[in-house]
Amino acid sequence: MIWAMNAVQVLLLILLAPLVRGVIARLKARIQNRRGASVWRPYSDVFKLFRKEDLVPASASFVFRLAPIVLFATTLVVAAFVPLLYGSALVGVTGDFVLLVYLLALGRFFLMLGAIDGGSSFGGMGASREALVSTLAEAPFLLALMSVAIGAHTGTIAGIVQWTVGQNFFQFSAVHALAFVALALVAIAETGRIPVDNPTTHLELTMIHEAMVLEYSGPSLALIEWASAIKLTVVMALLIALFVPWGMATSLTAAALAIAALVLLLKMAALVLVLALMESSVAKLRMYLVPDFLGVASALAILAVVFTALMR
Amino acid sequence: MILLLPLFIPLAGALFVFLCRNPRVVVRAALTTGALELAAIGVTVNSIHSQGVLTAGRYLRADGLTSFFLISLGLIFALVLVYSSGYLRHVPEGRFSSLRWFYGLVFLFLFTMVAVYLSANLGMMWIFVEATTLASALLVGFYNTEGAVEAGWKYLIVCTVGIAFALFGTIALYLAAVKGGVSPESALDWGTLMAAAPGLVGGHELLKLAFVFVAVGYGTKVGFVPMHSWLPDAHAEAPSPISALLSAVLLNCAMYALLRFDAITSRAIGTGFSHTLLLIFGGVSLAVASLLMIVQRDLKRLLAYSSIEHMGIVAIGVGLGGALGLYGALLHTFNHSIAKTFLFFTAGNVREKFGTLRMERIRGMARSLPWTGGALILGALAITGMPPFGLFVSELLILTAAFSTAHYFIAVLMLAAISVVFGALLHHFQSMVMGKPEDVPVRPALQASWFVVMGVCVLCLVVLGVHIPAAFAAVLRGAMAVLQPAVLQP
Amino acid sequence: MGLFESAAARALASSGVFLFMTVLLIAAARRISTCIGLYSLQSLVITAQIAAVSRMHHSAQGFAIAAMVLTVKVAAIPYALYRIVEELKAPRDVSSSTSPSQSVFIAAGLILLSFFAVRPYVGVLGGDQAMLAAAVALVLTGGFLMVSRKKALMQVVGLLVLDNGIFLAALATTFGMPLVIEIGIVFDLLMGVFLMGLFVFRIRDTFDHLDVSKLRRLRG
Repeated sequence: MIWAMNAVQVLLLILLAPLVRGVIARLKARIQNRRGASVWRPYSDVFKLFRKEDLVPASASFVFRLAPIVLFATTLVVAAFVPLLYGSALVGVTGDFVLLVYLLALGRFFLMLGAIDGGSSFGGMGASREALVSTLAEAPFLLALMSVAIGAHTGTIAGIVQWTVGQNFFQFSAVHALAFVALALVAIAETGRIPVDNPTTHLELTMIHEAMVLEYSGPSLALIEWASAIKLTVVMALLIALFVPWGMATSLTAAALAIAALVLLLKMAALVLVLALMESSVAKLRMYLVPDFLGVASALAILAVVFTALMR
Repeated sequence: MILLLPLFIPLAGALFVFLCRNPRVVVRAALTTGALELAAIGVTVNSIHSQGVLTAGRYLRADGLTSFFLISLGLIFALVLVYSSGYLRHVPEGRFSSLRWFYGLVFLFLFTMVAVYLSANLGMMWIFVEATTLASALLVGFYNTEGAVEAGWKYLIVCTVGIAFALFGTIALYLAAVKGGVSPESALDWGTLMAAAPGLVGGHELLKLAFVFVAVGYGTKVGFVPMHSWLPDAHAEAPSPISALLSAVLLNCAMYALLRFDAITSRAIGTGFSHTLLLIFGGVSLAVASLLMIVQRDLKRLLAYSSIEHMGIVAIGVGLGGALGLYGALLHTFNHSIAKTFLFFTAGNVREKFGTLRMERIRGMARSLPWTGGALILGALAITGMPPFGLFVSELLILTAAFSTAHYFIAVLMLAAISVVFGALLHHFQSMVMGKPEDVPVRPALQASWFVVMGVCVLCLVVLGVHIPAAFAAVLRGAMAVLQPAVLQP
Repeated sequence: MGLFESAAARALASSGVFLFMTVLLIAAARRISTCIGLYSLQSLVITAQIAAVSRMHHSAQGFAIAAMVLTVKVAAIPYALYRIVEELKAPRDVSSSTSPSQSVFIAAGLILLSFFAVRPYVGVLGGDQAMLAAAVALVLTGGFLMVSRKKALMQVVGLLVLDNGIFLAALATTFGMPLVIEIGIVFDLLMGVFLMGLFVFRIRDTFDHLDVSKLRRLRG
């Protein structure tokens, strides 16, 4: 029964990811006084791309065609770690938060390889920028997750969620506050949103992710777009699950699950709104300021870990 | 009720001056207010000596220590007012810089200082010490030049930070008192605290913490050395009458606050800790200031460092303790006030006639400004502790205290520092007074008021140097009795 | 009401967390207005703590102090500072000698330092360890801001944060001082901020810039 529940969670994540992206884009358009595209647009984009031809540069090797597949596969596996409605996930091993960080890194690594393999200068430039950002984002990501895990005395994400649900909402913990801010900053870097990267830009000065996928087309591009949508949703779900999981079902009854689904919808909506507002009001950081941005995240994450010892 | 007079008169004077438009009326009003205030202080002092401790309500108190410092304040303030009426004939008009603002702010400043002296409550005292910083900041920046604005800013920031630390010390003392059983409403009242002090032994860690913060905090306003960075700038850039007020009165005001705290702490946990701390601050201030005086190039900055040096000596006197040390320290505050006022008035003249205070550009005063040059030399002799001037007596008392309590290191330090200062001052002043004047400025007429003011200063210094009048000695003994109820006559 | 009470009590017990977050964010801020807003937030947290303590001891005096702190520190002073920033028409960035990430590291270090500094004194001073540590952290961060930020107005903000720290230390150890004294302290602060604002304009008019690190005419 639980196995079916967890499988449903993963399927929800995968299938609803493009919708989340669509809603964010529509909301941003509204805030900027435009009408914006329909919220189902990402779905039509993916279907359209799947029907098109896959053009491969003559100089590319197998890596170019392998990269989108690896990216999509790792993102799918990562989606299996995160609890959505019930405090358990499809895949959960002790230390899976470390596995999560490095699976995301693996996908990103292959994307960088594919971009370089494509042979264009945009790909190389995007890959080098992405390398900088991801190297600096790795430490705070791990440290923040680790501090939360130490606090919960458990090594699985599902375990952390279950521990947090049992805590009193009003007992604010310094460790969690610090880890939340650090993870929020890292999430922005990982998912490539403003102020680190502009997902809708066509100016090479401001591209990181866009530069890497410039050479891709057809089903490969569809996989990449879908994977990045799933990544965005997974990271958001992770933030919600780790820090505000109250409302999740504690029993496998239909009523509890329905309530959990509703609460999750509300939380996601709130996060989407915050993201859209922030993207519309903050300017993108210039490239040389991005390490500083992630430096702040690192400092907060380190402090979070130190605090787990202090607040005992 | 009498206690309200010295507070009310400056406020009324300030209000009147602010509302007045005619400059001549302003000056006359200022002098009248000053005279009235002097009278009020005289009446207060008299009442204290005939009736003992005066109190009014819960927040005002006047005892022997208050009367001593009020006398000093009154005298210096009167001299400054008379001098300013002549000095400030040309005031640069600007925002907050006009004759009206000058006198108005000066009276507000006076009000805050009198309020510090008349406070019964340590919290009240803190509020008014901070208020003195606020009232005098605009006076420091009065001339609106680059230097004045920078000095005013530094003064405001550094002193506010310092006073914030003193607030924490006050709170810690309050906490110690409440824990020791004093009721919270009167745990900041000085009289209550003195009475309850012997019973506060249990919280001696807290008392030590409180005194450290108070020493650092109020010490910033006194000008103790690590925290003194605002002092040379502020005293140099302010107009000369204001420099005199700052050096001669405000530093004493901050020292008064320290004395009140030291009294409580000593009564509670003995003199060891607080007096050692005061000796350290005093010794370091003395040493650093005397060394820095050698390399000064601006006359008023030189005098400012001299103030730091003398406040160091006062701190050493208090730190040595006992009848000799305390008597010498209190006497020294009075002597230093008069001598420093005298010197700043001279500097004011120099500035007015030469247009600059850079000592390398001032030469040959003996020929161009004989009276001012003479005053400069006299002032130098007075401030370095030469007989027959009063500072000789007070410094000798403190040195005697040092030797008699076996603080040989401090005594040697003091002697060495005084010698260094003597050499530095005489070197600087001699080159200013001797030599050929570069151009012969028109010899300006010195007003009668200047002579009166300077004469009064010299008279006081000589009198105190030769034989301290019995009445004055009685006031001093009364002040000491307040601080150290167990120790009386020297 | 029981749920609300217990929730409020728990939230206030962990208010140290809010204060630490404001310390870190103020160190990372790059605009003066952000710092002013964070100062206002800090003061709000402190007001809430005063109100909670007054509620616990049923003291009307405490509520009066809370109301006063609310009007002055949360509303009046930040509003005045915002107006000054507008009137100055100068670049609104915090000219700092350390980058945001360096500042956050230093602020984090200061927070840890304050925890260790407070540990031996918890018995002597009484009061909650987290609140005392937050107070010391505020004082240290205020000092750090004053030293590392080059804009004159930022020195004022640093001073205000430092003062908040001392106020919080007073709150954490005693249970509030007599009302008249508290009023006097807050009034002094208000006057101080007013004067400092005045001086900021003077600096701008005399020097044509607001960089206090360039105020080095008087030396020695």
